[in-house]
Amino acid sequence: MVRQRVVVVGASIAGVTVVDELRRRGFTGELTLVGDDPHPAYNRPALSKGFLSGTDTLASITLPALSCEVDQRIGATAIGLDTDRREVLLADGDRLPFGRLVIATGARARTMTDLGAADPGAEESTFRDVADARDLRDRLVDRPRVVIVGAGILGMELASTCAAAGSAVTVVDRQPPLRAQLGRFLSDLVVEAATAHGVTLAHHPAGVRLRGSGTPAAELADGRRFDGDLVISAVGCRPDVEWLAGSGLVTDGDLRIDDRCRVAAGILAAGDVAAFPGDHGHRRTPWWTSALDQARTAAATLLDDDAGAPLVPSPYFWTEQFGITLRVCGPLPVRGRPTVVAGSPAEGLLLTWPDGRDGATAAAVNRRIPISRLRALTRATPSDPPMEARR
Amino acid sequence: MRLTIDRDRCEGYGLCADSAPELMHLDDDGELVLDHEDVPAPSSAAAETAVRVCPVAALRAD
Ligand SMILES: Cc1cc2nc3c(=O)[nH]c(=O)nc-3n(C[C@H](O)[C@H](O)[C@H](O)COP(=O)(O)OP(=O)(O)OC[C@H]3O[C@@H](n4cnc5c(N)ncnc54)[C@H](O)[C@@H]3O)c2cc1C
Ligand code: SF4
Repeated sequence: MVRQRVVVVGASIAGVTVVDELRRRGFTGELTLVGDDPHPAYNRPALSKGFLSGTDTLASITLPALSCEVDQRIGATAIGLDTDRREVLLADGDRLPFGRLVIATGARARTMTDLGAADPGAEESTFRDVADARDLRDRLVDRPRVVIVGAGILGMELASTCAAAGSAVTVVDRQPPLRAQLGRFLSDLVVEAATAHGVTLAHHPAGVRLRGSGTPAAELADGRRFDGDLVISAVGCRPDVEWLAGSGLVTDGDLRIDDRCRVAAGILAAGDVAAFPGDHGHRRTPWWTSALDQARTAAATLLDDDAGAPLVPSPYFWTEQFGITLRVCGPLPVRGRPTVVAGSPAEGLLLTWPDGRDGATAAAVNRRIPISRLRALTRATPSDPPMEARR
Repeated sequence: MRLTIDRDRCEGYGLCADSAPELMHLDDDGELVLDHEDVPAPSSAAAETAVRVCPVAALRAD
């Protein structure tokens, strides 16, 4: 077993899980966890859901502290990596030598300014951490008009919570809401619910621009302008790799890992920061369960001297918005109409798309089903009817 | 240490049971069953992991 000092950078779900998993697997060497967030790690997905709506507090979403032996550098920012001397450089001037390094610095919100789609001086806020969530929660008290740019999962969840808080909400995008993420059938379900909740949805294929003068506003390429008291950009996230500049580890902005979460000799990565190999090249899979899977794989690879089993991702996705709880196993987006395995729109639906290009997909809409059974539906073949149907 | 589950919130993901099978399991209907609400001391780390991995923050250890 490896005995060299292990340094983990990034102290959210991926980094904390790497540390926990290393100790649970019996690693007894020196272990240091570096995180720049002044708050102890919390459940990030809850920010746009219960925390923003007020049913959760920071205390109720804070993750249990690590009780294992670990040197935690909380509030410390990594600003550089020296791969020759094998040291992580901290903002306070400290250098942390390592034998093995795990990079788990996650991602930060992308802005319209990053994308070159904002006039100089345009106002925009983003939503990624607890400070952002507090700001928005405080502002929602006055029921501001909210314009959200980006009709992806995060943008639509924010729209749902803001509308429930009494705000007039508009969501604009270059594409129809959630179409690219979920496929037509599932996105239509959500769009119908969003419309019923009074949310205005608008898109134009030539895109959106934030305007810099007057009230905060987003404008579609056809000239339709939406003024708000605030504009929130929810246009994706970018990996937090700036601190790795000059390390040679970043390719075209991506920190690429292999299927055992290795970046280079003795250097691993996990979570939102990492791009995982797949049939369509390396892609980040910025979701909770992939952060967990990758963190556990990284810990196993590190300890077993690279002999551990490769990670075979089994995509799992969920969202809650406009009264719809959607859970999906298997590749997204899905094309075409699903087979209804069980249920009805009123009592909740269990759906499958057996013939997806990258394998079968199963979805539960407002219906409780253990994930193991949902996953089993993605493996059933037509001659082997799904469990639900057999009962 | 004591484990509690918020039933309204738990979606039956079962990620917690994967992390601490000695403390909890999902029954046939996908409901989480806590086999040990009072966590035996040797399992406290496993209990913390289970709480941590729950995507919807439904499980608590106090
Ligand atoms: C509002 C919101 C809602 C979401 N909802 C869902 C959902 O419903 N379902 C789902 O599956 N996923 C959801 N996600 C995604 C999920 O939260 C992420 O996949 C998960 O948090 C990834 O964990 P991570 O540890 O890789 O990265 P992060 O959680 O981004 O953590 C990275 C950590 O590294 C720290 N860090 C960064 N750079 C440095 C540095 N240089 N030095 C030291 N520390 C550093 C950061 O401060 C941060 O604490 C949501 C995300 C957001 C923002
Ligand atoms: S991980 Fe959370 S939601 Fe899933 S079964 Fe456990 S407590 Fe319930």
